[in-house]
Amino acid sequence: MSEQRFKGRVVLVTGAAAGVGRGVARAFGAAGARVGLAVRDPHAASAAAEGVRLAGGQPVVLRCDVTDPERCASAIESLVDRYGRLDAVVHNAVSNRSSEPTDFERAGLDLWEEHAAVSVRASYRLAALAFPHLAATRGALLLMTSPAGIDGSGPLPFYSAVKGAQRGFVRALAREWGPAGVRVNSVAPLAVSPALENVRANDPERFARIEALVPLGWVGDPADDIGPPSVFLCSEQARYVTGQTLVVSGGRFTGL
Amino acid sequence: MAEATTVVVGGDRGIGRGAADELARRGHRVGVVGGGTTDLTDGVAVAAALRGAAGDGEVGTVVVAHVEPAALTPVALAELGEEAWDAAAERTLQAGFVVLREAHEVLPDGARVVLVLPTVAATGVAGLVPLCTAVEGLRVMGKAVARRWGGRRITVNTIEVDLASFVLGDAQVGDDTASAVPPVPVLGEPALPAGSAVADVVAIVEVLAGEAGGALTGALLVADRGQVMQP
Repeated sequence: MSEQRFKGRVVLVTGAAAGVGRGVARAFGAAGARVGLAVRDPHAASAAAEGVRLAGGQPVVLRCDVTDPERCASAIESLVDRYGRLDAVVHNAVSNRSSEPTDFERAGLDLWEEHAAVSVRASYRLAALAFPHLAATRGALLLMTSPAGIDGSGPLPFYSAVKGAQRGFVRALAREWGPAGVRVNSVAPLAVSPALENVRANDPERFARIEALVPLGWVGDPADDIGPPSVFLCSEQARYVTGQTLVVSGGRFTGL
Repeated sequence: MAEATTVVVGGDRGIGRGAADELARRGHRVGVVGGGTTDLTDGVAVAAALRGAAGDGEVGTVVVAHVEPAALTPVALAELGEEAWDAAAERTLQAGFVVLREAHEVLPDGARVVLVLPTVAATGVAGLVPLCTAVEGLRVMGKAVARRWGGRRITVNTIEVDLASFVLGDAQVGDDTASAVPPVPVLGEPALPAGSAVADVVAIVEVLAGEAGGALTGALLVADRGQVMQP
């Protein structure tokens, strides 16, 4: 990214150790941001932090399981204590089981809770905790949703539901926070997640079939394809954009 | 449809109650599972209630018209608190999952599921973030199970009505009921003249439950007389 539109600004990215979160964190780094990488295991985030640094940003690794209210509070407070401000929060973390097919008809509330705790309740929690800081900077909240949260996925009914829920959250909160100057949006990406990395490595024919469904011809790179639109939505250049879901999928999903 | 039972979950209040009464008035066999009398997050209780509502008959259609009452109290997100969030948003989503899961157990091949929800999530409403979150989550959950259950020819569709109709049915917003309906900004006047939301919903349920509805699944039908027109 040629311009450092986030120079001096502070961003928190959850689930930043791998996949889309890592790519988005790197893109914010390329925009000059100070990036708090909220991760459950700080040891697993060293490569992601190095990616932010090499891109031109300033990484801070924060131990944060988003299902733990105290960890969420301390992650946000430590960033604000260190840098004196918070300009954007990107909630990207999902359940470890998000890509596992779900047997909806036999599943229990415990499995539902694994999905909802990370995607739904943590969206509320992070938003509530970040609000005074985002209001002070007229900042932005960005949720990583999914095309499954628009179309619904048969194999992934829980994932679909929690990602759909995030879109309802975004629309309502955008109206609520608009008067405070805080924007709320979401991105629905098609990107090479860790699960898709496995498919690419172990089942290249299946990966090729997935790619063939994308009009632009490839599955998005987290940093190069998903990162820049995410940075845009959190930046001044999107100051009149709120309550929206931006589908970043190479044209794979066009139904919104 | 007249032979199989239509079970209305959430049929003890608002649009669900109105729909249950109207379906019965039109001669359909109707059973009710009350959201106020059954813990809809308890699978055992829901399963028993569904079977009880079906009586001796086969279930042909399940109409689900339920959000937790806590979700209807307008509160700014920053003032909400985790317990209130859970009572409003999480519990509504949990109930939706449990009801759909248990409904699947009692539904024969070719049965119909209709979710009835308020239109709030289509536009978003300040102060009702938990409700909008839960409603959109339930709508997409419905699409996902529509894809899952299509092989059994079970259809799953959603009807949305304006929030006042969802909460009150055809009762008018008056002094005694106004507090039950959170204020929703009017973003546009309905294109069509006013009418009975209950009758509108029941007419669509009848189509979805009939032969003509067999090819429609995963759809959203906004029965608000042309106020919220989805892109």
